[in-house]
Amino acid sequence: MVAGLLLGGFYAAVSLGVSLIFGLLDIANIAQPAFVILGSYAAYVMNRSFGLDAILTGLLFTPVFYVLGAVVYRLYYESFERRGEESLRGLVFFFGVLFIIEVSLSLKYGVDYRLVEAAYIGKSIDLGGVGIAFRLLVPCLVGLAMTLALHLFLSRTFYGRAVMAVSQDRLALRLMGADPVRIKTIAFGVGIAAASLAGALLITIAPVVPSTDRDYIGRMFAITVLGGMGSIAGTLVAAVILGVAESLMSTFFGPSWSLAVSFGILLVALAVRPAGLLGR
Amino acid sequence: MHDVDAGYGAVRVLHHVSIEVREGETVALLGTNGNGKSTLIKCIMGIVRPEAGEIFLETDGTRVDLTKRPTEEIVGLGIAMVPEGRRLFPKLTVQENLLLGAYRPQARGDIARNLAFCFEAFPVLRARRKQLAGSMSGGEQQMLAVARALMSSPRILLVDEPSVGLAPILVNRVIGKIKELKERHHLTVLMAEQNFNQATKIADRGYIIVHGKIEFEGHSTQELREHELVKKYYLGV
Repeated sequence: MVAGLLLGGFYAAVSLGVSLIFGLLDIANIAQPAFVILGSYAAYVMNRSFGLDAILTGLLFTPVFYVLGAVVYRLYYESFERRGEESLRGLVFFFGVLFIIEVSLSLKYGVDYRLVEAAYIGKSIDLGGVGIAFRLLVPCLVGLAMTLALHLFLSRTFYGRAVMAVSQDRLALRLMGADPVRIKTIAFGVGIAAASLAGALLITIAPVVPSTDRDYIGRMFAITVLGGMGSIAGTLVAAVILGVAESLMSTFFGPSWSLAVSFGILLVALAVRPAGLLGR
Repeated sequence: MHDVDAGYGAVRVLHHVSIEVREGETVALLGTNGNGKSTLIKCIMGIVRPEAGEIFLETDGTRVDLTKRPTEEIVGLGIAMVPEGRRLFPKLTVQENLLLGAYRPQARGDIARNLAFCFEAFPVLRARRKQLAGSMSGGEQQMLAVARALMSSPRILLVDEPSVGLAPILVNRVIGKIKELKERHHLTVLMAEQNFNQATKIADRGYIIVHGKIEFEGHSTQELREHELVKKYYLGV
């Protein structure tokens, strides 16, 4: 149960990028988990070569990932969105990006499991008889901080409010004096920057191979839709629900059930509340 | 706006249209549906590009060519538009819609003052500021659309068909508020409207547009009222 709650905070961190890019911008960026894994490998390389802390690396790499995201969006925009061909071809584009990242990582680092080292990994604190592993606690706290930061960005800044509006009425946004393409570029960059940190959290929790993205793609989209498209608070709630449900299931029935749980909950929730838990 | 031709693809909507709006004036653009009022306003905002002709904004002796600027830059110059059909962000709250209206950097410092003014002018918006814009009634949405445009501290306000889809009593109220706002803010207003009686209540003068051509320029509302086109189209004489 406690492990599930902690897992939820981490799942929220992983899903924020999808929540922003898919939930608010309406861009089916299925390559998001690959960017997360890319973040994991960045953390791995910096940890191995310079002994840098994984999460600190994730934070330091956010500007790099932001620029990467902005470039990918511009490419997508010029090639597809501007011509109104975003739906199917856009999906193929992001599928391509996913494979390029995954295959590149496999070629460079092989398919062995990679992990990072830090003083706190392996330690735990005891809270009223329940042992809490730092390996899970730290990613959860960072995930909560990321969720809060993104929530404040969206609700308190002019750029953030424009991001929330951009998929609703592009022309109206221009009439407010904002350039929709610029707004989307910023939002996409922020979403990919979040993947840098999420990747660092991922490799702190467990070892990673290039194909780990496949374990997360379903979960990320399930959490986003369950929470309600574009709702950051909803993403957190859905992530915690999924984290708890998965860890209970794996305790009682074994870990192979965990993905079935994601989609089982998603189906039931959508039948009852089609807009998602906190969707507008 | 001088000698403007504009249209959509092969269809030309505006033919050699020239109009002028001077500082502090309220000018009505009258015409029934499908005569090019909205297209004219869209040309000013850079949403529709003219095929020929010039559109200029002159302030303090400087002259800016609007036909070469993207819409968001035109908004940045201090021209706000209340679009036909309101075009609010339906899944954002009233307050979020208003704050987006203040996106223009020059307006961000005035947010508190402008917000207080909008809430005073339209108290219903204050009461519903946490409500999603899409869940309000048509009249409330129209008030929000006007208020949102005012949040950008505009010098020029373009209003496209404020009366469409509203009950007569609400039309009265919205038009009355536009007049009040105009006087208090020293706004320049260009209002496209098919409802002749409402528009002439607040206009200083106006143009009548028929089939994409300016058919008549009335230098006062009296002149407009007495013109035969108005009698023909609106008064049923």
